[in-house]
Amino acid sequence: MKPFTFYKPTELEGASKLLNGVGRGHFLAGGTDLMTEMKQGVIEPELLISASDIKDMFGIVWNNSGLTIGSMVTLDEIASDTNIGSRIKSLAEAAISIATPQIRNIATLGGNLCQRPRCWYYRNVRFNCLKKGGEKCFAIGGSNKYNAILGGADSCYIVHPSDSATVLVALKAKVDIFRNFQRVTIPIRDFFIGPEVAVTRENILEPGDILISVQIPKESMDGKNVFLKAKERQSMDFAIASVAAMVKMENGLITGVGIAAGGVAPTPWHLTSTEQKLIGYCVEDIDVQAISAEAFADAKILSQNGYKLQLVQTYLERALNLVLR
Amino acid sequence: MVDQNAHPPSVGTSFQRADLRDKVLGIAKYTADLSLPDMLHARVLRSPHPHANILSIDVQPALNMVGVYDVLTPFNVGGGKVAPDVPILDTKVRFVGDEIAVIAAVNVYEADAAIDLIKVSYEVLPFSTNMDTSMKKGNPKIHSQGNVVNGGPIVEARGNVEEGFDQADYIVEDSFTTPDHHPASLEPRAALASWDGTRLTMWKPSRGIHADKAILASALDVDPNNITVIGPVMGGGYGSKDETRTSVLAALLSMRTGRPVKLELSREEEFLAGRRRHSTFTKIKMGVKKDGTVTAVHVKTIMDTGAYLSSGPGVVRRAGQGALYLYRCPNVKYEGQIVYTNTPTAGSYRALGAPQGHFALESLSDQVADKLNIDPLKFRLMNHVGPEGQPGERTTPKNQIIDTQPVEGGIPFSSNELRQCLILGADAIGWERRDQIQTPTGSIRRGIGMSMFIYRGGPGGQSNAKMSLDEDGFFTLNVGFMDVGEGSSTVVLQMAADTLGVLPQMVRLNSGNTDNTPQSPMTAGSTLTFSAGQAAVRAANQLAQIVIESASEVIGLTDTEGLYITPEGVCSTSGDEVNFTDLVKKSGLLKTTVSVTPGSKDYIVNSFGAHFAEIEVDIETGYVKVIKYVAAHDSGKIINPRMAESQVRGGISQMMGFTFLEDMEIDDLSGVTLNASFLEHKSPTIMEYPEIEVIFADSIDPVGPFGAKSLGETPCIAPAPTIANALYHATGVRLNHLPFTPDNVLTALRKLR
Repeated sequence: MKPFTFYKPTELEGASKLLNGVGRGHFLAGGTDLMTEMKQGVIEPELLISASDIKDMFGIVWNNSGLTIGSMVTLDEIASDTNIGSRIKSLAEAAISIATPQIRNIATLGGNLCQRPRCWYYRNVRFNCLKKGGEKCFAIGGSNKYNAILGGADSCYIVHPSDSATVLVALKAKVDIFRNFQRVTIPIRDFFIGPEVAVTRENILEPGDILISVQIPKESMDGKNVFLKAKERQSMDFAIASVAAMVKMENGLITGVGIAAGGVAPTPWHLTSTEQKLIGYCVEDIDVQAISAEAFADAKILSQNGYKLQLVQTYLERALNLVLR
Repeated sequence: MVDQNAHPPSVGTSFQRADLRDKVLGIAKYTADLSLPDMLHARVLRSPHPHANILSIDVQPALNMVGVYDVLTPFNVGGGKVAPDVPILDTKVRFVGDEIAVIAAVNVYEADAAIDLIKVSYEVLPFSTNMDTSMKKGNPKIHSQGNVVNGGPIVEARGNVEEGFDQADYIVEDSFTTPDHHPASLEPRAALASWDGTRLTMWKPSRGIHADKAILASALDVDPNNITVIGPVMGGGYGSKDETRTSVLAALLSMRTGRPVKLELSREEEFLAGRRRHSTFTKIKMGVKKDGTVTAVHVKTIMDTGAYLSSGPGVVRRAGQGALYLYRCPNVKYEGQIVYTNTPTAGSYRALGAPQGHFALESLSDQVADKLNIDPLKFRLMNHVGPEGQPGERTTPKNQIIDTQPVEGGIPFSSNELRQCLILGADAIGWERRDQIQTPTGSIRRGIGMSMFIYRGGPGGQSNAKMSLDEDGFFTLNVGFMDVGEGSSTVVLQMAADTLGVLPQMVRLNSGNTDNTPQSPMTAGSTLTFSAGQAAVRAANQLAQIVIESASEVIGLTDTEGLYITPEGVCSTSGDEVNFTDLVKKSGLLKTTVSVTPGSKDYIVNSFGAHFAEIEVDIETGYVKVIKYVAAHDSGKIINPRMAESQVRGGISQMMGFTFLEDMEIDDLSGVTLNASFLEHKSPTIMEYPEIEVIFADSIDPVGPFGAKSLGETPCIAPAPTIANALYHATGVRLNHLPFTPDNVLTALRKLR
């Protein structure tokens, strides 16, 4: 790890200026991912700007329109919040499924959403892959059992590592971003971008932009929501496939739906066409098995990741059966 | 003479292990915790290429840095060797991560910066990351002797395996593979060297300080009398920390700079420069008669040793012992071959080749039982090797100690309670309900499987002990072996205390420093309780005799009649007594030295066991849950039940990684190890730890000290085949390739859907 300068601003403005100023600056939240990247030499920031004293980025606030969670709220705070546990079960389940208790104590929601991919070619300094500005994706012809089956776009086959992102896309959440000294709010599904848009990053944040908070609309809490995650190791592991599903029903009719898959694509994979096959229909008329089988029709399998297709189909089927029951 | 009834014996009780308190409190000092005044820090430049010749190295820009004191390269380290195929540094690199140059600087940051300034010119060579490529004719040689070690396999045989197959009604054959499995010890390798102009002192995690001393002396061309090796507490070794290049490099830097030098590897370096379990390819064939009698077993195993040989010959031999000896059979043959590849080096890892060998043997045994339509437990009860040993003629001369891995028949075991293990284990898992628990439909399938094993029982190399009664009235047991975390120092101390007739708290164990301990073999092959134990028991017996005789003189008796040792001193039946402190004051320091060659000239000393597991597999997700695990072991008399049980539980949980998760992922196109981290090389966590019931067979070995046999490695042998057999029972599909990760399980189960 290389030496760096450490800043601890108290206002979003100051932080943004530092991030957009001279020298390679990185925003520091919990640091559980950033420090790993620095220790492995994947990034070498000259300055670190800590978010720990910026009040706008903290707090779990309920109001009439729903819930706002500051991006500096830790995963443990989300996992152990009884209101979140009872009203947004999928988010609590995602939080508790991440990493280990020690990491959840300091890792934040914002950090979880903005963490860098786990693809081992990206993480290893010996490969200058596309994501690092290099010429090729080494996963395509290499060891790719954890890589994407969707959205790789013949370029970069990372999977987005965030479990909370998968859930928040299904919950139709919005994110508040500090951009050009103003607060802007956008749907979270537009926050994440695939390699066809920009290969060296996973979201829309530009230098100086700050993810302030996440809003979950009240309507998304009215129905049932679940998060199912397949992992190889039952602690300290990322999703090899996951599904988040939210369904709201009135008199047997599906009036609201949100579905996303994780661990299978460079972004949290929003299953819009599957949602279309559910919204407005009667529960009795839904053929879960057929819908799940069709959901990933455009999957492109690499040499070692074909099992992910079966896994994610199975998880979608199980998630839908849970929320439609 | 010694009154064994004076107080309750320590052997058989869970006396608290010696290092427990310091480790739990976090005050135990590991090698990396140590530092010396004016100490320099070393960092290693590692090869980015899997196979290359080094043409030249420009170190000047690095040396120009103010904080840099020295740099080692293949061109300035002399011709010493760390191992027969490992020079101190070589002008050829053989895997991504191989050592090229070493910097000594004032701190690690300066050293890291200097590493970046070293310019190396390479002649890049074609390389091989797998055994098939290595063995192809015409492919470049990784070592000058060729890529197949010694040009071919070792061959061990009893009887005539062809004749055995001719007698068979059925022949079942299959092939199996096992992955590269890294010990992933919590403590990465470290070495602290201090040279004072004539003497070298080396602190390092060690499983054999005397062996390390000999290697340092030979590699550095220093008189062994001028070397001290000190082994601080070990942060996990499992056999893998016999690698000595790290310490030789630190020593050389200290000798050249005249300052202490510490070299501590990073987590990634520990994965690359450490030692992994050999990945294997095994072809196995068993012949049986219709009545279930085994007529022949033939096994061929090929092992990937990576860039260097390390302990490969020992590992490949041990992989074959199950095939040669677990089933009663007159005709057996084992061929074991070792192949170099351009990957990180394989070496010793708990139970060496036995887990790989037993995975193939015990999986196939289930298939044979299936072919015969016999219950797999019954097939084993019919055919396991019994106390009488194997059929055949003894070839070892009468006056020679019997090898712990024999091939010949005609020799009985000193003790063999394998049958008891099979029966007790089957009872504990509920084998009789095996057919009822199966769930032939639905996504969750349930099954029960089992396997059994045989392993070396404890006799190792010549073992020495010194024991004394000291001025303070306490005893000191001086031994040269290293407790690598398994607790040998505690059980050996318990045996010595009981032999003397004093409380274990009265006995100090001195080890870990070559200056004041007798020669001792490495902590290897599960030998310490048995071998060091025999030495300690003999030393304690001799010292007891000396203490009684001295007491007799001090008290003023004409003979030793009626004298016995108590926890406080020596008493006589007529009421005389002298406490230990007074005894030493009057008679001076009392001491003795013994040397034993452990083992038996009449018996094979082996340990045995049988493991059972009940599992659930989700055939749609490939996730396997172990519902219950039973481990039944014959390790003779159990000296310390709590530690013994922990040893079994630890071994099983370690092998849950081998069975379900762990593999070193090496990129075929670049030779780079992709998952050299705790996150990516997925060692099991508490979440993978099943409910385990540990059973120790009622067994007293007549040769072992206090009736004990080996236990250290044996828990690691049976888990993988036990799970594989349970998976077969649950699904009807046999998985021949470890690890059973969801992708591998789903691929194998494809035929079910």
